[in-house]
Amino acid sequence: MHRFANPARFLKIARPLTGWLFWPGLALILVGGACGLFVTPADYLQGQTVRILYIHVPAAWLGMGGWTGIAVAALMQLVWRHPLAAIAGRAIAAPGALFTAICLMTGSIWGRPTWGTWWEWDGRMTSMLVLLFLYLGYIALANASARDGQAGGVSNVTAIFGLVGAINIPIINRSVVWWNSLHQGPSITLRGSSIAMDLLWPLGLTLLGFSLWFGAIVLMRMRTILAQNKVEARMQRLARG
Amino acid sequence: MNQWAFVIAAYAVTAIGTGLVSILSWRAMHDAERAAAKLSERA
Amino acid sequence: MKAKHQRLILALAALVAIIGAGLLAVSALKDEAAYFYAPADVKAKGVEPGKAIRLGGMVVGGSLKRAADGVTIRFDVTDGKATVPAMFSGIAPDLFKEGSGVVAEGSFDAKGTFIATNLLAKHDERYMPRELEGMNYNASTHEMKAEQ
Repeated sequence: MHRFANPARFLKIARPLTGWLFWPGLALILVGGACGLFVTPADYLQGQTVRILYIHVPAAWLGMGGWTGIAVAALMQLVWRHPLAAIAGRAIAAPGALFTAICLMTGSIWGRPTWGTWWEWDGRMTSMLVLLFLYLGYIALANASARDGQAGGVSNVTAIFGLVGAINIPIINRSVVWWNSLHQGPSITLRGSSIAMDLLWPLGLTLLGFSLWFGAIVLMRMRTILAQNKVEARMQRLARG
Repeated sequence: MNQWAFVIAAYAVTAIGTGLVSILSWRAMHDAERAAAKLSERA
Repeated sequence: MKAKHQRLILALAALVAIIGAGLLAVSALKDEAAYFYAPADVKAKGVEPGKAIRLGGMVVGGSLKRAADGVTIRFDVTDGKATVPAMFSGIAPDLFKEGSGVVAEGSFDAKGTFIATNLLAKHDERYMPRELEGMNYNASTHEMKAEQ
């Protein structure tokens, strides 16, 4: 991994990769979304509202995946002192928070016509809201530490916060199993899927599409931070000069 | 038909969120990389 | 031992400790964090009449009866182990039906009937087109078979 410690080598790969992730990701999101809206049949119980599944599930997956990424980056920063890890952690936070918010909002919009409520304090919803607050806390800490001259990355305290916050991820995942909840149990498990194939397939497209898009945004934000670092370092040299 | 209002609202929220983040991230990157490129030209 | 390895062991030990502490706290919370009581919980622990709780379970097939006033409904809620009668006046959500999940907010009266002030529909993890409705579903294997 230290092969990519050199920003120039990282950028050589990141520059073309940004577009290669972004455009196919966007295309898959649009195709998957259109199929989910117009091609798949309605659900036997919920009717048309089941179509929210095709964005709600990828948003939940990336909201949780984002924090897993932050935790891995934090581990790499604290243990291996990888110079790009801190920057990656900071770059993941914004799209991760966005998807957590989208998950909560689409879930709320979905809950009203199916369950009969916009919001209930059950285990799944509460733990997902906690994840959003964790993201906001991480972003605040990361921005503060970046201002204190952490070379665009996050401080070790922020990284530890990212690592500790990871405890919420298995809690979210198991919340519908451990506790009685309004949210239904998992549909897709290692044993298979309880979503009929006719309804399931566009989810694969949007899941992959949003994931590629997520990767593209992380690369864009890492490139932004690296370029800002370069300018900053140059300014400091001039000031001393 | 009322069900479609909820579906459209959910898709609209997602489209606005991802669209905004796409544009803001790209512009921030574009501006930062141009500033960095300008500096190396002067050097 | 290299400093890197020391940091790795330290970080992993801290991670294990955090996850252990977190899971321990969560498992201690198990009952408190439950969003609703199942009929079996009510039977086992007893809930005093008048105490505001949520009751969740399946609406027993054939138990749903509408009173003459048109807005009051009576139905039985079961979790497979115990069954309790419930009553509700008002507008139930669209997905509220026999054989489907329900979470009712309210309290028990002196005779042990649950007087609901609000009904929420709880659906299960299955999604399928209307043509597949009525197929036998095996919850442990997720397999669907045509009805024999």
